[in-house]
Amino acid sequence: MRHTPAALLLLLAALMAPAVCSAHIFTRHARRDVQVFVKTPYLELHTGPGRGYPVFDVVPQGESVLVLFRRTQWLKVRTRRGVEGWASEDDMLKTALADGAPLPLTIGNRAGFTSHRFEAGAFAGVFGGANLISAYTSYSFNSQLAVEAALGQFLGRYSNGITADIGLTHVPMPQWRLSPFLMLGIGILHVEPKATLVQPAVRTEQTAYVGGGLRYYIGRSFFLRAEYKTHVVITTQNRNQVEDEWKLGFAVFF
Amino acid sequence: METRVRGLLLTAALLTVPLLPGCATVHRWREHRAEVRAAREEARAEASPTGQSVAGDSVPPGAIQPRIERRRARAPRIRSSNLEIGAHFGVMSIEDFGSHPAYGLDLAYHLTEDLFVRAEIGRSTGGLTSFETLGGNIRLLTEGERKFTYYDLGLGYNFLPGEAFFGRSRAMTSSFYVIGGAGATQFAGDKKFTVTVGGGYQVLPTDRLAVHVGFEDHMFQSALLGASKLTHNMEAGFGVTVFF
Repeated sequence: MRHTPAALLLLLAALMAPAVCSAHIFTRHARRDVQVFVKTPYLELHTGPGRGYPVFDVVPQGESVLVLFRRTQWLKVRTRRGVEGWASEDDMLKTALADGAPLPLTIGNRAGFTSHRFEAGAFAGVFGGANLISAYTSYSFNSQLAVEAALGQFLGRYSNGITADIGLTHVPMPQWRLSPFLMLGIGILHVEPKATLVQPAVRTEQTAYVGGGLRYYIGRSFFLRAEYKTHVVITTQNRNQVEDEWKLGFAVFF
Repeated sequence: METRVRGLLLTAALLTVPLLPGCATVHRWREHRAEVRAAREEARAEASPTGQSVAGDSVPPGAIQPRIERRRARAPRIRSSNLEIGAHFGVMSIEDFGSHPAYGLDLAYHLTEDLFVRAEIGRSTGGLTSFETLGGNIRLLTEGERKFTYYDLGLGYNFLPGEAFFGRSRAMTSSFYVIGGAGATQFAGDKKFTVTVGGGYQVLPTDRLAVHVGFEDHMFQSALLGASKLTHNMEAGFGVTVFF
Protein backbone atom coordinates (compact mmCIF):
# COMPACT_ATOMS: atom_id res chain seq x y z
CA MET A 1 0.00 0.00 0.00
CA ARG A 2 3.04 2.29 0.19
CA HIS A 3 2.66 3.10 -3.48
CA THR A 4 -0.89 4.31 -3.15
CA PRO A 5 -0.28 8.07 -2.60
CA ALA A 6 1.96 8.06 -5.66
CA ALA A 7 -0.70 6.12 -7.51
CA LEU A 8 -3.33 8.66 -6.47
CA LEU A 9 -1.13 11.47 -7.76
CA LEU A 10 -0.63 9.65 -11.03
CA LEU A 11 -4.34 9.04 -11.25
CA LEU A 12 -4.96 12.73 -10.63
CA ALA A 13 -2.53 13.51 -13.45
CA ALA A 14 -4.37 11.05 -15.68
CA LEU A 15 -7.68 12.63 -14.75
CA MET A 16 -6.38 16.13 -15.35
CA ALA A 17 -5.03 15.31 -18.80
CA PRO A 18 -8.38 15.71 -20.57
CA ALA A 19 -9.04 18.84 -18.55
CA VAL A 20 -5.83 20.44 -19.73
CA CYS A 21 -6.67 19.32 -23.23
CA SER A 22 -10.16 20.83 -23.05
CA ALA A 23 -8.83 24.00 -21.46
CA HIS A 24 -6.51 24.38 -24.42
CA ILE A 25 -9.53 24.12 -26.72
CA PHE A 26 -11.33 26.70 -24.61
CA THR A 27 -8.64 29.30 -25.10
CA ARG A 28 -8.25 28.54 -28.78
CA HIS A 29 -11.94 28.87 -29.47
CA ALA A 30 -12.47 31.78 -27.10
CA ARG A 31 -12.91 34.31 -29.89
CA ARG A 32 -14.88 32.07 -32.20
CA ASP A 33 -18.26 31.82 -30.52
CA VAL A 34 -20.88 30.78 -33.03
CA GLN A 35 -23.46 33.40 -34.00
CA VAL A 36 -26.95 32.16 -34.82
CA PHE A 37 -30.18 33.92 -35.83
CA VAL A 38 -33.58 33.21 -34.31
CA LYS A 39 -35.98 31.95 -36.98
CA THR A 40 -38.91 31.01 -34.75
CA PRO A 41 -41.16 33.78 -33.30
CA TYR A 42 -38.93 33.83 -30.21
CA LEU A 43 -36.20 31.90 -28.40
CA GLU A 44 -36.72 31.16 -24.70
CA LEU A 45 -33.82 31.60 -22.29
CA HIS A 46 -33.82 29.58 -19.07
CA THR A 47 -31.87 30.38 -15.91
CA GLY A 48 -30.22 26.96 -15.86
CA PRO A 49 -29.43 23.97 -18.06
CA GLY A 50 -32.60 21.98 -17.35
CA ARG A 51 -36.29 21.89 -18.15
CA GLY A 52 -37.17 22.84 -14.56
CA TYR A 53 -35.37 26.18 -14.60
CA PRO A 54 -37.69 29.11 -15.36
CA VAL A 55 -37.70 31.16 -18.55
CA PHE A 56 -36.46 34.66 -17.69
CA ASP A 57 -35.91 36.25 -21.12
CA VAL A 58 -36.84 35.80 -24.77
CA VAL A 59 -34.95 36.70 -27.93
CA PRO A 60 -37.25 37.94 -30.72
CA GLN A 61 -37.25 36.58 -34.27
CA GLY A 62 -34.46 37.89 -36.48
CA GLU A 63 -32.11 38.73 -33.63
CA SER A 64 -28.86 36.91 -33.16
CA VAL A 65 -27.28 35.18 -30.18
CA LEU A 66 -23.76 33.93 -29.55
CA VAL A 67 -23.48 30.27 -28.58
CA LEU A 68 -20.93 30.05 -25.77
CA PHE A 69 -20.86 26.33 -24.94
CA ARG A 70 -23.02 23.30 -24.55
CA ARG A 71 -23.83 21.21 -21.48
CA THR A 72 -25.79 18.01 -22.09
CA GLN A 73 -28.85 19.10 -24.12
CA TRP A 74 -28.60 22.80 -23.26
CA LEU A 75 -26.64 25.64 -24.83
CA LYS A 76 -25.44 28.70 -23.02
CA VAL A 77 -26.04 31.76 -25.21
CA ARG A 78 -25.43 35.50 -24.96
CA THR A 79 -27.85 37.95 -26.54
CA ARG A 80 -26.83 41.20 -28.22
CA ARG A 81 -27.94 43.01 -25.07
CA GLY A 82 -25.43 40.98 -23.08
CA VAL A 83 -27.99 38.74 -21.33
CA GLU A 84 -26.73 35.20 -20.81
CA GLY A 85 -29.09 32.26 -20.50
CA TRP A 86 -29.66 28.64 -21.45
CA ALA A 87 -31.56 27.56 -24.56
CA SER A 88 -32.63 23.99 -25.21
CA GLU A 89 -31.04 21.97 -27.99
CA ASP A 90 -34.47 21.44 -29.61
CA ASP A 91 -35.04 25.20 -29.81
CA MET A 92 -31.51 25.87 -31.03
CA LEU A 93 -31.95 23.38 -33.87
CA LYS A 94 -34.55 25.78 -35.28
CA THR A 95 -32.05 28.65 -35.46
CA ALA A 96 -29.79 29.34 -38.43
CA LEU A 97 -26.27 30.53 -39.08
CA ALA A 98 -25.62 33.78 -41.00
CA ASP A 99 -25.61 31.85 -44.31
CA GLY A 100 -28.96 30.24 -43.53
CA ALA A 101 -27.52 26.83 -42.71
CA PRO A 102 -28.84 25.11 -39.59
CA LEU A 103 -26.70 25.09 -36.45
CA PRO A 104 -24.52 21.98 -36.65
CA LEU A 105 -25.30 20.14 -33.44
CA THR A 106 -24.32 16.54 -33.09
CA ILE A 107 -27.20 14.75 -31.44
CA GLY A 108 -27.23 11.07 -30.70
CA ASN A 109 -29.87 9.26 -32.73
CA ARG A 110 -30.56 5.89 -34.33
CA ALA A 111 -28.32 6.74 -37.29
CA GLY A 112 -25.50 7.42 -34.84
CA PHE A 113 -26.21 4.14 -33.08
CA THR A 114 -25.94 2.33 -36.41
CA SER A 115 -22.71 4.01 -37.40
CA HIS A 116 -20.31 5.74 -35.02
CA ARG A 117 -16.60 5.99 -34.31
CA PHE A 118 -16.15 5.61 -30.57
CA GLU A 119 -18.07 3.94 -27.84
CA ALA A 120 -17.39 3.40 -24.15
CA GLY A 121 -19.23 1.75 -21.33
CA ALA A 122 -19.16 0.07 -17.96
CA PHE A 123 -20.41 -3.35 -16.88
CA ALA A 124 -21.23 -5.36 -13.81
CA GLY A 125 -21.28 -9.12 -14.01
CA VAL A 126 -19.74 -12.43 -13.14
CA PHE A 127 -16.33 -13.84 -14.10
CA GLY A 128 -15.73 -17.49 -13.26
CA GLY A 129 -18.06 -17.24 -10.25
CA ALA A 130 -16.58 -13.97 -8.94
CA ASN A 131 -18.16 -10.52 -9.02
CA LEU A 132 -16.90 -8.49 -11.93
CA ILE A 133 -16.78 -4.79 -12.73
CA SER A 134 -15.39 -3.76 -16.05
CA ALA A 135 -15.16 -0.95 -18.56
CA TYR A 136 -14.54 -0.97 -22.29
CA THR A 137 -13.88 1.35 -25.15
CA SER A 138 -14.03 0.67 -28.86
CA TYR A 139 -13.15 2.24 -32.18
CA SER A 140 -15.27 1.33 -35.20
CA PHE A 141 -13.70 0.99 -38.64
CA ASN A 142 -17.18 0.88 -40.17
CA SER A 143 -20.69 0.23 -38.93
CA GLN A 144 -20.00 -3.49 -38.58
CA LEU A 145 -16.43 -3.93 -37.44
CA ALA A 146 -14.75 -2.47 -34.38
CA VAL A 147 -11.64 -3.02 -32.33
CA GLU A 148 -12.27 -2.91 -28.63
CA ALA A 149 -10.35 -3.04 -25.38
CA ALA A 150 -11.84 -4.05 -22.04
CA LEU A 151 -10.44 -3.97 -18.55
CA GLY A 152 -12.09 -5.73 -15.64
CA GLN A 153 -11.58 -6.48 -12.02
CA PHE A 154 -13.10 -9.59 -10.47
CA LEU A 155 -13.46 -10.03 -6.75
CA GLY A 156 -14.32 -13.48 -5.50
CA ARG A 157 -14.27 -15.64 -2.42
CA TYR A 158 -11.16 -17.52 -3.43
CA SER A 159 -9.32 -15.07 -5.62
CA ASN A 160 -9.23 -11.55 -6.93
CA GLY A 161 -7.78 -10.45 -10.20
CA ILE A 162 -7.73 -8.39 -13.32
CA THR A 163 -8.67 -9.20 -16.89
CA ALA A 164 -7.52 -7.15 -19.87
CA ASP A 165 -8.79 -7.99 -23.34
CA ILE A 166 -8.32 -6.64 -26.83
CA GLY A 167 -10.17 -7.92 -29.84
CA LEU A 168 -12.55 -7.47 -32.72
CA THR A 169 -16.31 -7.05 -32.56
CA HIS A 170 -18.59 -7.74 -35.46
CA VAL A 171 -22.14 -6.37 -35.60
CA PRO A 172 -23.92 -8.14 -38.49
CA MET A 173 -27.10 -6.01 -38.35
CA PRO A 174 -26.07 -2.62 -36.93
CA GLN A 175 -29.32 -0.97 -38.04
CA TRP A 176 -31.44 -3.08 -35.68
CA ARG A 177 -32.50 -1.50 -32.41
CA LEU A 178 -31.77 -4.78 -30.61
CA SER A 179 -28.78 -6.05 -32.47
CA PRO A 180 -26.50 -9.01 -31.81
CA PHE A 181 -22.73 -8.94 -32.04
CA LEU A 182 -19.83 -11.40 -32.00
CA MET A 183 -16.43 -11.01 -30.39
CA LEU A 184 -13.03 -12.60 -30.80
CA GLY A 185 -9.77 -11.63 -29.18
CA ILE A 186 -6.92 -12.18 -26.82
CA GLY A 187 -6.10 -11.01 -23.34
CA ILE A 188 -4.32 -11.34 -20.06
CA LEU A 189 -5.64 -12.76 -16.82
CA HIS A 190 -3.97 -11.83 -13.56
CA VAL A 191 -5.07 -13.91 -10.59
CA GLU A 192 -4.29 -13.27 -6.93
CA PRO A 193 -5.58 -16.25 -4.96
CA LYS A 194 -6.55 -15.60 -1.35
CA ALA A 195 -4.23 -16.96 1.32
CA THR A 196 -6.66 -19.71 2.32
CA LEU A 197 -5.97 -21.63 -0.88
CA VAL A 198 -3.50 -24.47 -1.18
CA GLN A 199 -1.51 -22.77 -3.94
CA PRO A 200 -1.62 -19.08 -3.20
CA ALA A 201 0.71 -18.18 -6.06
CA VAL A 202 -0.05 -14.97 -7.93
CA ARG A 203 -0.05 -15.74 -11.62
CA THR A 204 -0.53 -13.97 -14.94
CA GLU A 205 -1.72 -16.01 -17.89
CA GLN A 206 -2.53 -15.34 -21.51
CA THR A 207 -6.06 -15.85 -22.65
CA ALA A 208 -8.06 -16.05 -25.85
CA TYR A 209 -11.76 -15.39 -25.95
CA VAL A 210 -14.79 -15.80 -28.11
CA GLY A 211 -18.15 -14.35 -27.26
CA GLY A 212 -21.31 -12.66 -28.28
CA GLY A 213 -23.96 -10.38 -27.00
CA LEU A 214 -26.78 -8.01 -27.60
CA ARG A 215 -26.93 -4.24 -27.67
CA TYR A 216 -30.13 -2.31 -27.28
CA TYR A 217 -30.58 1.36 -28.22
CA ILE A 218 -32.26 3.33 -25.41
CA GLY A 219 -32.22 6.86 -26.83
CA ARG A 220 -29.92 9.77 -27.69
CA SER A 221 -26.37 8.35 -27.53
CA PHE A 222 -27.03 5.55 -25.06
CA PHE A 223 -27.47 1.83 -25.30
CA LEU A 224 -27.50 -1.21 -23.08
CA ARG A 225 -25.09 -4.01 -23.73
CA ALA A 226 -25.21 -7.57 -22.47
CA GLU A 227 -22.47 -10.00 -23.35
CA TYR A 228 -21.00 -13.39 -22.76
CA LYS A 229 -17.38 -14.35 -23.29
CA THR A 230 -15.70 -17.67 -22.83
CA HIS A 231 -11.99 -17.33 -22.08
CA VAL A 232 -9.48 -20.08 -22.67
CA VAL A 233 -6.72 -19.48 -20.14
CA ILE A 234 -3.43 -20.76 -21.57
CA THR A 235 -1.82 -22.11 -18.42
CA THR A 236 1.59 -23.64 -17.86
CA GLN A 237 -0.09 -26.80 -16.62
CA ASN A 238 -1.14 -29.77 -18.74
CA ARG A 239 -4.66 -28.61 -19.19
CA ASN A 240 -5.96 -25.25 -20.24
CA GLN A 241 -8.58 -23.64 -18.07
CA VAL A 242 -11.89 -22.21 -19.29
CA GLU A 243 -13.58 -19.27 -17.58
CA ASP A 244 -16.99 -17.85 -18.41
CA GLU A 245 -17.79 -14.16 -18.21
CA TRP A 246 -21.32 -12.72 -18.18
CA LYS A 247 -21.96 -9.03 -17.91
CA LEU A 248 -24.54 -6.32 -18.38
CA GLY A 249 -23.73 -2.68 -18.88
CA PHE A 250 -24.47 0.77 -20.06
CA ALA A 251 -22.66 2.38 -22.97
CA VAL A 252 -22.40 5.63 -24.86
CA PHE A 253 -21.36 6.27 -28.46
CA PHE A 254 -19.62 9.37 -29.81
CA MET B 1 0.30 -4.19 -5.48
CA GLU B 2 2.04 -2.69 -8.46
CA THR B 3 -0.22 -4.64 -10.78
CA ARG B 4 -3.22 -3.32 -8.91
CA VAL B 5 -1.96 0.23 -9.19
CA ARG B 6 -1.27 -0.36 -12.85
CA GLY B 7 -4.78 -1.76 -13.19
CA LEU B 8 -6.27 1.32 -11.57
CA LEU B 9 -4.27 3.62 -13.78
CA LEU B 10 -5.20 1.66 -16.88
CA THR B 11 -8.87 1.84 -15.91
CA ALA B 12 -8.56 5.58 -15.43
CA ALA B 13 -6.77 5.98 -18.74
CA LEU B 14 -9.32 3.82 -20.53
CA LEU B 15 -12.14 5.80 -19.02
CA THR B 16 -10.68 9.20 -19.68
CA VAL B 17 -9.58 8.72 -23.26
CA PRO B 18 -13.04 8.17 -24.77
CA LEU B 19 -14.53 10.84 -22.57
CA LEU B 20 -12.55 13.77 -23.86
CA PRO B 21 -15.34 15.84 -25.33
CA GLY B 22 -13.31 18.75 -26.52
CA CYS B 23 -9.93 17.18 -26.90
CA ALA B 24 -8.26 18.08 -30.12
CA THR B 25 -6.38 14.84 -30.46
CA VAL B 26 -9.50 12.74 -30.20
CA HIS B 27 -12.13 14.85 -31.83
CA ARG B 28 -10.39 16.82 -34.52
CA TRP B 29 -7.84 14.48 -35.98
CA ARG B 30 -10.18 13.14 -38.64
CA GLU B 31 -11.31 16.60 -39.56
CA HIS B 32 -7.72 17.75 -39.58
CA ARG B 33 -6.73 14.94 -41.90
CA ALA B 34 -9.59 15.81 -44.23
CA GLU B 35 -8.46 19.44 -44.25
CA VAL B 36 -4.90 18.47 -45.02
CA ARG B 37 -6.11 16.24 -47.86
CA ALA B 38 -8.35 18.98 -49.26
CA ALA B 39 -5.51 21.50 -49.15
CA ARG B 40 -3.20 19.09 -50.93
CA GLU B 41 -5.77 18.40 -53.65
CA GLU B 42 -6.37 22.09 -54.08
CA ALA B 43 -2.66 22.74 -54.48
CA ARG B 44 -2.44 19.96 -57.07
CA ALA B 45 -5.45 21.29 -58.99
CA GLU B 46 -3.97 24.75 -58.96
CA ALA B 47 -0.63 23.54 -60.23
CA SER B 48 -1.82 21.30 -63.07
CA PRO B 49 -4.04 23.67 -65.20
CA THR B 50 -1.42 26.41 -65.26
CA GLY B 51 1.17 23.88 -66.38
CA GLN B 52 -1.16 22.69 -69.14
CA SER B 53 -2.06 26.20 -70.27
CA VAL B 54 1.59 27.11 -70.71
CA ALA B 55 2.30 23.91 -72.64
CA GLY B 56 -0.90 23.77 -74.71
CA ASP B 57 -1.10 27.54 -75.19
CA SER B 58 -4.87 27.28 -74.93
CA VAL B 59 -5.27 30.60 -73.10
CA PRO B 60 -5.01 33.58 -75.43
CA PRO B 61 -2.21 36.00 -74.52
CA GLY B 62 -3.37 38.92 -72.49
CA ALA B 63 -6.35 37.12 -70.93
CA ILE B 64 -6.63 37.73 -67.23
CA GLN B 65 -6.10 34.68 -65.14
CA PRO B 66 -8.35 35.07 -62.13
CA ARG B 67 -6.50 34.37 -58.95
CA ILE B 68 -9.21 33.96 -56.39
CA GLU B 69 -8.22 32.50 -53.10
CA ARG B 70 -10.93 30.07 -52.31
CA ARG B 71 -12.12 30.18 -48.73
CA ARG B 72 -12.92 26.87 -47.26
CA ALA B 73 -16.12 27.09 -45.28
CA ARG B 74 -15.69 25.42 -41.95
CA ALA B 75 -18.69 24.31 -39.95
CA PRO B 76 -18.50 26.03 -36.58
CA ARG B 77 -17.92 23.81 -33.61
CA ILE B 78 -19.63 24.27 -30.31
CA ARG B 79 -17.56 23.24 -27.37
CA SER B 80 -19.08 20.87 -24.86
CA SER B 81 -18.71 21.15 -21.13
CA ASN B 82 -19.94 17.85 -19.77
CA LEU B 83 -16.89 16.63 -17.90
CA GLU B 84 -16.61 17.32 -14.20
CA ILE B 85 -13.38 16.77 -12.26
CA GLY B 86 -12.81 17.40 -8.59
CA ALA B 87 -11.93 16.29 -5.12
CA HIS B 88 -13.87 15.55 -1.96
CA PHE B 89 -13.00 15.65 1.73
CA GLY B 90 -14.93 14.37 4.70
CA VAL B 91 -15.24 11.83 7.44
CA MET B 92 -15.63 8.11 6.98
CA SER B 93 -17.04 5.80 9.59
CA ILE B 94 -15.54 2.38 8.93
CA GLU B 95 -17.67 -0.27 10.63
CA ASP B 96 -15.95 -1.46 13.85
CA PHE B 97 -12.91 0.72 13.13
CA GLY B 98 -14.11 4.21 14.08
CA SER B 99 -14.45 7.46 12.15
CA HIS B 100 -11.53 9.10 10.44
CA PRO B 101 -10.84 11.73 7.77
CA ALA B 102 -11.38 10.67 4.18
CA TYR B 103 -10.46 12.21 0.87
CA GLY B 104 -10.77 11.32 -2.76
CA LEU B 105 -11.01 12.27 -6.41
CA ASP B 106 -14.06 12.32 -8.64
CA LEU B 107 -14.54 12.28 -12.38
CA ALA B 108 -18.04 12.63 -13.77
CA TYR B 109 -19.50 12.86 -17.24
CA HIS B 110 -22.97 14.32 -17.70
CA LEU B 111 -25.01 12.35 -20.20
CA THR B 112 -28.26 14.32 -19.94
CA GLU B 113 -29.53 17.02 -17.61
CA ASP B 114 -30.68 14.17 -15.33
CA LEU B 115 -28.12 11.39 -15.71
CA PHE B 116 -24.40 11.28 -15.14
CA VAL B 117 -21.73 8.62 -14.77
CA ARG B 118 -19.05 8.98 -12.15
CA ALA B 119 -15.75 7.33 -11.32
CA GLU B 120 -14.42 7.87 -7.84
CA ILE B 121 -11.35 6.88 -5.87
CA GLY B 122 -10.87 7.59 -2.18
CA ARG B 123 -8.89 6.83 0.91
CA SER B 124 -9.43 6.75 4.66
CA THR B 125 -7.84 4.99 7.62
CA GLY B 126 -9.34 2.57 10.10
CA GLY B 127 -8.64 3.03 13.79
CA LEU B 128 -8.71 0.50 16.63
CA THR B 129 -11.68 -1.77 17.23
CA SER B 130 -13.11 -1.75 20.76
CA PHE B 131 -11.66 -5.27 21.16
CA GLU B 132 -8.18 -3.91 20.49
CA THR B 133 -8.71 -0.91 22.79
CA LEU B 134 -9.84 -3.09 25.67
CA GLY B 135 -7.44 -5.95 25.00
CA GLY B 136 -4.19 -4.08 25.60
CA ASN B 137 -1.49 -4.91 23.10
CA ILE B 138 -3.56 -7.06 20.79
CA ARG B 139 -3.53 -5.75 17.20
CA LEU B 140 -5.74 -7.31 14.54
CA LEU B 141 -4.24 -5.37 11.66
CA THR B 142 -0.96 -3.75 10.78
CA GLU B 143 -0.84 -0.01 10.07
CA GLY B 144 -0.71 -0.67 6.34
CA GLU B 145 -3.75 -2.93 6.49
CA ARG B 146 -5.76 -0.17 8.18
CA LYS B 147 -5.63 1.96 5.05
CA PHE B 148 -9.08 1.93 3.49
CA THR B 149 -8.87 2.54 -0.27
CA TYR B 150 -11.90 2.35 -2.50
CA TYR B 151 -12.89 3.02 -6.06
CA ASP B 152 -16.19 2.74 -7.85
CA LEU B 153 -18.05 3.46 -11.04
CA GLY B 154 -21.59 4.66 -10.72
CA LEU B 155 -24.63 6.11 -12.38
CA GLY B 156 -26.17 9.23 -10.86
CA TYR B 157 -29.47 11.00 -11.19
CA ASN B 158 -30.11 14.70 -10.58
CA PHE B 159 -33.49 15.63 -9.16
CA LEU B 160 -35.32 18.63 -7.70
CA PRO B 161 -33.37 21.19 -9.72
CA GLY B 162 -33.66 24.69 -8.37
CA GLU B 163 -31.90 27.87 -7.55
CA ALA B 164 -30.13 28.89 -4.38
CA PHE B 165 -30.01 32.60 -3.61
CA PHE B 166 -27.06 34.32 -2.09
CA GLY B 167 -27.85 37.87 -1.09
CA ARG B 168 -30.08 40.10 -3.21
CA SER B 169 -28.56 39.73 -6.63
CA ARG B 170 -27.00 36.31 -6.84
CA ALA B 171 -28.79 33.12 -7.93
CA MET B 172 -26.99 29.82 -8.30
CA THR B 173 -28.41 26.72 -9.94
CA SER B 174 -28.64 23.74 -7.63
CA SER B 175 -29.97 20.19 -7.48
CA PHE B 176 -30.11 17.07 -5.37
CA TYR B 177 -28.66 13.85 -6.66
CA VAL B 178 -28.59 10.15 -5.89
CA ILE B 179 -25.92 7.79 -7.07
CA GLY B 180 -25.39 4.05 -7.11
CA GLY B 181 -22.39 2.11 -8.27
CA ALA B 182 -20.05 -0.81 -7.85
CA GLY B 183 -16.35 -1.04 -7.24
CA ALA B 184 -13.73 -2.46 -4.95
CA THR B 185 -12.38 -1.72 -1.49
CA GLN B 186 -8.91 -2.59 -0.27
CA PHE B 187 -8.99 -2.98 3.49
CA ALA B 188 -7.53 -5.33 6.09
CA GLY B 189 -5.27 -7.06 3.59
CA ASP B 190 -8.11 -8.00 1.28
CA LYS B 191 -9.92 -6.50 -1.67
CA LYS B 192 -13.70 -6.75 -1.59
CA PHE B 193 -16.45 -6.20 -4.13
CA THR B 194 -18.21 -3.05 -2.94
CA VAL B 195 -21.58 -1.56 -3.69
CA THR B 196 -21.84 2.18 -3.17
CA VAL B 197 -25.02 4.20 -2.76
CA GLY B 198 -25.25 7.83 -1.88
CA GLY B 199 -26.80 11.18 -2.39
CA GLY B 200 -26.20 14.83 -1.97
CA TYR B 201 -26.86 18.42 -2.86
CA GLN B 202 -24.90 20.54 -5.29
CA VAL B 203 -24.73 24.26 -5.96
CA LEU B 204 -23.02 25.85 -8.96
CA PRO B 205 -21.64 29.30 -8.03
CA THR B 206 -20.50 29.69 -11.65
CA ASP B 207 -21.11 27.65 -14.79
CA ARG B 208 -17.77 25.96 -14.37
CA LEU B 209 -17.68 25.34 -10.61
CA ALA B 210 -19.81 23.06 -8.45
CA VAL B 211 -19.82 22.62 -4.68
CA HIS B 212 -21.26 19.36 -3.33
CA VAL B 213 -22.35 18.17 0.09
CA GLY B 214 -23.10 14.49 0.25
CA PHE B 215 -22.99 11.13 1.92
CA GLU B 216 -22.18 7.67 0.65
CA ASP B 217 -22.43 4.17 2.00
CA HIS B 218 -19.73 1.76 0.83
CA MET B 219 -21.03 -1.74 1.52
CA PHE B 220 -19.07 -4.97 1.36
CA GLN B 221 -19.14 -8.41 2.89
CA SER B 222 -16.55 -8.90 5.63
CA ALA B 223 -15.66 -11.81 7.91
CA LEU B 224 -12.87 -9.96 9.68
CA LEU B 225 -14.39 -10.11 13.16
CA GLY B 226 -15.80 -13.64 13.12
CA ALA B 227 -19.08 -14.13 11.31
CA SER B 228 -19.43 -12.85 7.76
CA LYS B 229 -21.56 -9.73 7.61
CA LEU B 230 -22.38 -6.85 5.31
CA THR B 231 -20.44 -3.86 6.58
CA HIS B 232 -21.68 -0.32 6.05
CA ASN B 233 -19.00 2.30 5.76
CA MET B 234 -20.53 5.73 5.75
CA GLU B 235 -18.74 8.70 4.32
CA ALA B 236 -19.99 12.26 4.64
CA GLY B 237 -18.23 15.23 3.22
CA PHE B 238 -18.07 18.07 0.77
CA GLY B 239 -16.51 18.31 -2.63
CA VAL B 240 -15.50 20.87 -5.18
CA THR B 241 -15.57 20.08 -8.88
CA VAL B 242 -14.77 21.97 -12.05
CA PHE B 243 -16.56 21.50 -15.36
CA PHE B 244 -14.51 21.12 -18.54
